[in-house]
Amino acid sequence: MMETIEKYLGKLVAQGLVDSSEDASLFSMDDRIYSKDENIPQIVEYLFKTLNITSLIIARPSRLILNIIGELKKVCPDRIAPKDSESITFIHDIPVLQDMDSKTIATALKRRKGCIATDGSIIATGSITLEQAFVVFSSICFALFVKYFSDVLNSLGGSHGNVHDECTVIEPSSTILGMIGPPGPIRRPSLVIPESEYDVISTMVDTGKATVESGLVDSFFGNISYTLDDYMYISQTAAALDELEGLIDKVALDGSSTNDITSSSEMGSHLRIHELTLDRAILHGHPKFSVIMSMYGKPMELGEKRYLGDIPVVYGRVGAGKKGLVHVLPPAMQESRAAIAYGHGTFTSGSESFLDAFDKMLYIENACFEMLKGLLSI
Amino acid sequence: MSKYTLKCLFVDLDSRSVRFEQVPQDISLKYIGGRGIATHLLGLNPMLKAGEPETPLIFSAGPLTGSRLPSTGRMTISSFSPLTNTITSSSVGGNLGIQMRMAGLDVIHITGKSRNKLVLCIQDRDVSFEDVALGEDTPLQEVFLKLSSRGSVAAVGSAGFHGCLFASIMVDGAYAAGRGGLGYVMASKNLVAVTVRGSHRPGVGDRHMEGITTEDILRLFDASPAIMGVSGIHRYGTVSLVDLMASRRMMPTANFRKTFFEQYRAFSASRIVSTFKATHNGCYACPIRCKLKSDGGKELPEFETVSHFGALNENADLMSIIEANRICNEVGMDTITAASTIACLAEIREKKYTGDTLVGKVKEMASGKGLGELLQMGSRRLAEELGQPGTSMSVKSMEIPAYDPRGAYGMALGYCTSTRGACHLRAYPISHEILRRPVATDRFSFQGKARIIKIAEDVNAAIDSMGACKFAFFGASMEEYALGMKAVTGLDIEPQDLITIGERIFTLERYINCQRGFAKEDDFLPARFYKEHGTPGPGLEIPPIERALFKETLERYYRVRGCSPDGVPTEKRLKELDII
Repeated sequence: MMETIEKYLGKLVAQGLVDSSEDASLFSMDDRIYSKDENIPQIVEYLFKTLNITSLIIARPSRLILNIIGELKKVCPDRIAPKDSESITFIHDIPVLQDMDSKTIATALKRRKGCIATDGSIIATGSITLEQAFVVFSSICFALFVKYFSDVLNSLGGSHGNVHDECTVIEPSSTILGMIGPPGPIRRPSLVIPESEYDVISTMVDTGKATVESGLVDSFFGNISYTLDDYMYISQTAAALDELEGLIDKVALDGSSTNDITSSSEMGSHLRIHELTLDRAILHGHPKFSVIMSMYGKPMELGEKRYLGDIPVVYGRVGAGKKGLVHVLPPAMQESRAAIAYGHGTFTSGSESFLDAFDKMLYIENACFEMLKGLLSI
Repeated sequence: MSKYTLKCLFVDLDSRSVRFEQVPQDISLKYIGGRGIATHLLGLNPMLKAGEPETPLIFSAGPLTGSRLPSTGRMTISSFSPLTNTITSSSVGGNLGIQMRMAGLDVIHITGKSRNKLVLCIQDRDVSFEDVALGEDTPLQEVFLKLSSRGSVAAVGSAGFHGCLFASIMVDGAYAAGRGGLGYVMASKNLVAVTVRGSHRPGVGDRHMEGITTEDILRLFDASPAIMGVSGIHRYGTVSLVDLMASRRMMPTANFRKTFFEQYRAFSASRIVSTFKATHNGCYACPIRCKLKSDGGKELPEFETVSHFGALNENADLMSIIEANRICNEVGMDTITAASTIACLAEIREKKYTGDTLVGKVKEMASGKGLGELLQMGSRRLAEELGQPGTSMSVKSMEIPAYDPRGAYGMALGYCTSTRGACHLRAYPISHEILRRPVATDRFSFQGKARIIKIAEDVNAAIDSMGACKFAFFGASMEEYALGMKAVTGLDIEPQDLITIGERIFTLERYINCQRGFAKEDDFLPARFYKEHGTPGPGLEIPPIERALFKETLERYYRVRGCSPDGVPTEKRLKELDII
């Protein structure tokens, strides 16, 4: 238990979700509560007693997110409703607490997996593992960042029209605008053209790490695949992209095995992209500015397509259902070897190497950052 | 809070009399429906035995049964088990629950024993008893054909009337309340079938919210590879797990002496789907549609059945697996116990029953004649009778399903703490230990599993009580279904409240079992799993489970569940949960 606590504390800091390890308290429970703190706060004991959870993170998010929370709370005092598709799908909305007594916190967490405390701390829970609480924490930070900038952007009106419907218009905060920058520092993956299964797996592991380290995806999200001979190698569902060792499925392209029931939820899209483009390397990340810019303008309808520069933006649900990305994303990829899923993330491909796919994703993210800067006159 | 009372039909087969009653609101709210209300009703007289006339057989729908929320066509059938002597319940699909709700009923509570074989017919508020002239061996399909014009039908087959301790109740021809011998209880009442037809769709408190929640749930289904993925159960049915269990080296083989069957591809999902040009079938309002049908319209077996009539018996003959399943459905026998009992016999006799020989053994079992009389007692009694009790792969006399516990330690614990004997569905850790939903856990570790399993048991008790399907929770969570509960019932209820209700139900089940004499020593796996290795795979060892570690985890589980060191729920916890 303590090792797991150390691991996720390290990840919170490494991914910039908190500014310092002092800002976060992590707890796991089996028949007793495990924590780095010797004394377990009463509130934590109360929450574990009241809620059917196994893990809890209470942490002060990074200064940037803290400022964003401050701004969003002004216009959404009780509840923040994210707009990006992953958050809509998995966390729905984020309660904002008015009081910090145990009962108020427990009431909010009886309904949702995470909430925002009065001091801007984020409280996240997991019903199975501490990783789950980490994912909730990370997802809330992502959702808040994307919501703030897409609301600010859409509050500007302009040629796209004001489409901000959930809360009142948000004025851009110069403090927050001063804190953002392009992705970096960048660590590009190695230029290897895999020729064996060993190459494929080690290249995928390296690319996954590079994508997370370069800030193009939060570790839990995104997926990656490579096709060699008659097999697609693809990251498993719920696999952290920076920890892919042992979590890559080998899928027969002829459909003769169902082992891939554990593969990424976007596997259908990966297969179809490979089929249409013959590209071997496919990468999917959630670069924040690309997601924000994809949401600039009127909300998209299922099946609709528009462009950011020459990059297609399409709208579909996560996965392979009737309304899934699998139907709209692969044709868009055929067009430009890169596409953005509205409010979700970027897909890129390379004919033989992940470096191509990575560079395209980075290029699009940088371009989106510049676009945002331009629109906000930073 | 709105008025929430469950409507119950009490039927006495001795006097052929009925009465309608509303369950008091406090009880209705404490147990919400389905498995929960049945547990409460059985707990009122916890020492009854299966087969005694006064032992109730309870059909109970959940408050979501028949709503438009995805995957809510389930109901529960409950009683005391002749196989395990535990309280038992089985969640079942089909239309029976929906018809009950349309007839304005949440619960049908049946006691007594009819002098002659009869069918209980319910049409809205009209209840009638009809004597039937059926031969001992009338195939269930004939019963369904004869009665289908009367609405949804739950029927017991010849196995129940022959005294099979694991006889099932079949609903609408294709859906089995399979485990624990509920068919035996029904047959012991001389009740051949229950038919229900209702004509009023149950009301919904907030149709708009129901629609929004439905969309939320469908979005999560789409995002779940296990449900809607390329190889998900929507596409291949539950047999999509065959390849995965083989590659994880946790496919029970040769009566659990091995964990890998080299010829597993003979019954893989792609083989079954291509051989039979399979199409989907499923319950009302369910987009998952997990059942497979052949192009000739025949029901195809599910994963556990395929794996146990296949690998567990070292049988690579797909046609014999299909036939064994067909016979079980025709006579009403639980396929898991049937297949495991034959594998147990094979080990004792140092033989293999495959192909036609396997089918022959299933027929013998179904007839109850000759060796069949012993076979239909299940593997524990068979193994004891033949002098080799260690060959029964069961917990509390119920046979272990098709996930080898050495390959998933949460599953190992869940088999033992399940309140109806070795059952994969009470805690269903396959979700996180194998399918990585919502997150993955280390399948070879007990770390954190005591609390994980306890919470999962509570969640699943709530799911069974709402009338939802557990497969839905490979994608969605209690968060969405609690909103659905609010929308449908108008109750001001949160996800955690539902889990607490689940905790009350599960703890009461455990308490009832303890009253019936179950104790800590009944919460262990057969010795084989602590001594013998499973079959290794590439870079993968399957060691035996460390018994001391298992015991330690079980004791942690007791603490988490609020039990004494002997595994009995404490008075304090029973009071906290408002059980006593």
